[in-house]
Amino acid sequence: MRWSTALQNLKTMLIPGKYGLERWSYTLQRVSGVVVSLYFIAHVLETGSFVGGVTVWAIPDYDFAERAYREAVSFLKNPIFDAGLAVIGLLVVFHTINGVRLVLAHFGLVLGSPRRREILETPASFSNRQRALFWLSISLAIFAMLYTLDALMGVFRP
Amino acid sequence: MRERNVMLLHYATGLAILLFGGIHIWTLFFTYPFQGTIWETTMRFDSMPYAILPVYRNTLLALSLLGLLVSTTIHAFNGLRIILAELIGKRNIWIERGLFAIGAFLVIYGTRTILIAHMLV
Amino acid sequence: MTVLDGLIYIKENLDPTLSVRYSCRMAICGSCGMRVNGMEVLACNTQIVELEKKVITVEPMKNYPLIKDIVVDMSEFFVKQKNLKTWLIRKDVVEQENPTRQYAQTEEELEKILQFTYCIQCGLCYSACPVVSNLPQFLGPQALMKLYRYLADNRDEGEDRLAAVDKFEGVWRCHFAGSCSTVCPKGVDPALAIQLLRRAALK
Repeated sequence: MRWSTALQNLKTMLIPGKYGLERWSYTLQRVSGVVVSLYFIAHVLETGSFVGGVTVWAIPDYDFAERAYREAVSFLKNPIFDAGLAVIGLLVVFHTINGVRLVLAHFGLVLGSPRRREILETPASFSNRQRALFWLSISLAIFAMLYTLDALMGVFRP
Repeated sequence: MRERNVMLLHYATGLAILLFGGIHIWTLFFTYPFQGTIWETTMRFDSMPYAILPVYRNTLLALSLLGLLVSTTIHAFNGLRIILAELIGKRNIWIERGLFAIGAFLVIYGTRTILIAHMLV
Repeated sequence: MTVLDGLIYIKENLDPTLSVRYSCRMAICGSCGMRVNGMEVLACNTQIVELEKKVITVEPMKNYPLIKDIVVDMSEFFVKQKNLKTWLIRKDVVEQENPTRQYAQTEEELEKILQFTYCIQCGLCYSACPVVSNLPQFLGPQALMKLYRYLADNRDEGEDRLAAVDKFEGVWRCHFAGSCSTVCPKGVDPALAIQLLRRAALK
């Protein structure tokens, strides 16, 4: 595998340039997808440790279970992980709503239709409905992050 | 017709995650017994609905979690397969097999967790 | 003064070895595609004052092998189109070669594809597409748009048009980044064509 091609490809994926909103959506959807996938793997392993790790395959006895539970909780219950969860919340909600928008666009539903047009009118695929969904995904994502910060760490408590 | 089917699966699992994930977030954030302020009822590890100290023992919840696990694994690993193929410029059978293996392991491990935590084994 | 005028001035007065493709000077032939200040444009269509910068960087288009200076090798672009058989196919070939009357098409049927017939094959969309950059075997926005233009054309009777793009490097690799539609100088909107093609493929 050529590392130079991989690096060049990574730059193409991550730098949206001046191409417009849909290119930003492409970049952010990929980044959020990869980060959330990694979180998902960590989450399955972490919740696995709540019941005692890879060695446990039947319901363990109470004391062992209690100890495993307390260990896992003491590892996870700190503000850095809470803030991390807020970021994950942001990325998940963005990826979801933007993903719904992409599913609709891929079925041609929220896009405009081909028609007689003047040259250099806004392309029909950059329709207002579709872009509104993108902005909705951004705003809901920010809201989700703020909600998570508040729920976990009480940031906005009076 | 194969790639079309893979993409249909990607869309379908994406929407399934919407459903099952919504249930998951709902049970975590919104169905706790009141303990102090509303902020203190959420995400208190002392009262997780499923664990060896069972407050709930709910088969439907376990099934929806299992659905979430399987859908998310398929969706995430298919996405990673596509991103890796575009990153290196071509498909690679070993990367695809490796991703499949990790995904299969996660599903098995996660199913174990769900079954044990809901005391269903 | 357009960017193309500037390049011709350079060629005539400063550096005669500069190689650049151009022909019509009026944004209809599609020869002078290049990247100006990082953005794909037709050089004859871009006024220098519009760019609002003192220094203008001219680069060849991305995703094509470079021949010299700003001239790129566009053969792969055309080969991909040709492999998809982007031309009118009728079942009765003899009748197509010796037509007796025109093929009927209503105004509504024409409007479904008219926008996509404006393509001048300048290759700017292929240069802007991030997927083509990453995955050289991806068919590219122009070929897919052209295929949709024939798929949706009621006069076309080609078979297996969809099967030709239902591959790993076919329509599924488009992620709707929209760069193609942003740079198209003729307002063809290949992104729309590809999403409509995807809709046809998913049915």
